[in-house]
Amino acid sequence: MLILAATAPLWRTIDQPVALKGLVAMVGLLLIVWELWWFLGRHGGGVTARDGEAGVQEITITVDGGYAPSRFQVKAGRPLRLSFHRIDPSGCVAQVIFPDFHKTLDLPLEATTSLELPPTEAGVYPFHCGMNMVRGVLEVVDENANNQSAKRAS
Amino acid sequence: MERELARERTLLRRKVSVAAVLTVLVVVSSLPHMLGGGHHSFLPLWFTSPWTQLILTTLVLFWCGRDFFTGAVSAFRQHSADMNTLVAAGTGIAYLTSLFTTLFPQVLIAEGLPTDIYFETAAVILTLVLLGRLLEARARGQTSEAIRRLLQLQPPTARVLRNGQPVDVPVSMVVVGDLVQVRPGEKIPVDGEVSEGSSWVEESMLTGEPTPVAKAAGDAVIGASMNRSGSFTFRVSRVGADTVLAQIVELVRQAQSSRTQVQRLADQVVGWFVPVVIALAITAFVVWFLISGNAVLAMLFLVSVLVIACPCALGLATPTSIMVASGKGAENGLIFRSAEALETAGKLRTIVLDKTGTLTRGQPEVTDFERLNGGGLPASTLLAITAALESRSEHPLAEALVTYARSQMKDGALTAVEGFEAVAGRGVQGSIAGQLVRVGTPRWFEELGIDTTTLKPLVDRLEAAACSVAAVVVDGRIEACFGVADPLKTSSAAAVAALRRLGLQVVMLSGDARRTAEVVAAQVGIERVIAEVRPADKSSMIRKLQEQGDGPVAMVGDGINDAPALAQADVGLAMGTGTDVAIAASDITLISGNLAGVPAAIELSRAAMANIRQNLFFAFAYNVAGIPIAAGLLFPLTGWLLSPMIAGAAMAFSSVSVVSNALRLRNFRPTRLPLPTT
Repeated sequence: MLILAATAPLWRTIDQPVALKGLVAMVGLLLIVWELWWFLGRHGGGVTARDGEAGVQEITITVDGGYAPSRFQVKAGRPLRLSFHRIDPSGCVAQVIFPDFHKTLDLPLEATTSLELPPTEAGVYPFHCGMNMVRGVLEVVDENANNQSAKRAS
Repeated sequence: MERELARERTLLRRKVSVAAVLTVLVVVSSLPHMLGGGHHSFLPLWFTSPWTQLILTTLVLFWCGRDFFTGAVSAFRQHSADMNTLVAAGTGIAYLTSLFTTLFPQVLIAEGLPTDIYFETAAVILTLVLLGRLLEARARGQTSEAIRRLLQLQPPTARVLRNGQPVDVPVSMVVVGDLVQVRPGEKIPVDGEVSEGSSWVEESMLTGEPTPVAKAAGDAVIGASMNRSGSFTFRVSRVGADTVLAQIVELVRQAQSSRTQVQRLADQVVGWFVPVVIALAITAFVVWFLISGNAVLAMLFLVSVLVIACPCALGLATPTSIMVASGKGAENGLIFRSAEALETAGKLRTIVLDKTGTLTRGQPEVTDFERLNGGGLPASTLLAITAALESRSEHPLAEALVTYARSQMKDGALTAVEGFEAVAGRGVQGSIAGQLVRVGTPRWFEELGIDTTTLKPLVDRLEAAACSVAAVVVDGRIEACFGVADPLKTSSAAAVAALRRLGLQVVMLSGDARRTAEVVAAQVGIERVIAEVRPADKSSMIRKLQEQGDGPVAMVGDGINDAPALAQADVGLAMGTGTDVAIAASDITLISGNLAGVPAAIELSRAAMANIRQNLFFAFAYNVAGIPIAAGLLFPLTGWLLSPMIAGAAMAFSSVSVVSNALRLRNFRPTRLPLPTT
């Protein structure tokens, strides 16, 4: 049962029509391409944080199997409040870690927990769950640089 | 949070038990078929029917294993794929193929395919993965044990004096300024300063320092340390998040939230791991279908690849070791500020020790005072002008000079100084009663062209006795000379020896004259000395060492005067004072201020990095070897193919092994240094 011997009835060569073999290969290839695109491709540029009171940028992230949104943009040099709303009961997502900011946040189930971060420098800052399996990206963009490039473009 | 985790573990345990019972039934039910199909009278026919297996497996998958499927679906919607995706896809495919066979056996028979069902495969995999998850959750709980233990150190109540009467109040109600009574054998609830009474206090749980510390009026006490024999009252200075204990916990948490350089690699791999595994699984299916034309066989390879891959082992490899190691550090009074500090400390090749306050006690005393100009100023005048000048200086030696001068003076009043100026690394000068007075190093006076011939023999004698020399010059004439000695800490020589045993080059950095510094260095067994360094040049000396290829270089200092040098070094180690935990410029704080913590920190770092390397090697090797085997790469050579159930078991236990290996770090003990004889 543990290691199936090749003589078992399972191991049987069956002549399949070439057309079927071709079809299976084709479908398999398409499936691989689609699956890689779905999981690894970039889907939209992410969400931009909204402006809250007193110049604080705010963003709410729903924790359910993943982070929604999992990629978001904030402006550099302005305070940021991230609110995590966890509805996923899996213990894996009970913590969210921002390694570049040395911050760990415990997320109680069915509750919203906030974290304030100082995004001082532009850059890409990944974050992940306590087990490093569920991931997201905080993108800090330099407002001035954007303006300048916009000006240059115009 | 704790309660939530405990509840989750209870639920998980229940699910594992139910799944185990149901799975045993499914396996027994499938036995007759697996053993060749003959009639087995001991099992009723309805029990061995595919329909029974279908019902039991449905319960295992969609009740016990529900979270895998809901997790996979919500992750899928977020364009992400994880462990749940692999488990759900693997067991789901085995389940769906078996369901098809059960519902439409005639389709397969017409195609000449075997009508085997694999319900037991799906049930066994799911149960094993659930069991693995339970074991891993339990082990993971232990990685944060150190923080939990630290938090439990604080007693729940404090005996506060209210209107002169002792009242037991919860620690959260204690405010700064309260007077708190502590009796023998009790824990000190919060930080403060002893106002009355005296005792011996054991601080080992916070500072790692094994010997109890004497406390009397004016001494600082740390919350959560243990009072031994005496009784005393102290005035509360810090409560809540400001206490030493709370700061330690916060710093350890921060370190545990950071990541090492090696982890970045693992993180990148984890990011694309699952989608690539899915692609490999589909490839295995297609290739085996093309070779054999047997869809069922191809499906088994597909399932095996999906369930043997373990991204968790990769993801957990570094963080779990960091968790355990930084907690272990805190237990020994070593606070690592980041995972990177823990990582770099193990690679150090050179360690620079600041002399004053690190190797020595940092409390210099005047041992000699000599008048050099026979017919010059009287001793009382010389002492008075020294006290007046040095009382305005911030140099570490100044305090010793002022204390000595004042103890020798009849009248403690200070003479007025005009135009005071401190010349960094040289001395101080100012005008007193119209005369230009300078107190400073002999080198300074040589540079100024002052005749120092009378000074030379004395300097030779004092420097050979490891004393620093300060001369007093009035209107360009050498008038007197002080010898100042800073006694070595008792632990210094043993710590230096331990560092050399660890293969490190030990360098002493000092502002003292070369000869004085060399004498001190020889006493503790240091061969390389960088002397006569002005405070501002310390950091450039570190840079020079780094550029010379002596790196990575660590600097050990007090964290205040040495801040730039600590920051320049690859690892800055600050000697704490017991109450000062969060020393900003440092990467590692030794709470006790005991130099023995330096070799201990390096040993811990090396142990942690070795552990991380083992974990990463295992996790990579497991996946790199396991996936091709599961895909049937060995089949043409050996004729064997791996049962999907074995693949599932291997996956479940790979992440458990990683966490268990990290937990071995809990047994780390720093090498005990020989206790000083003095």
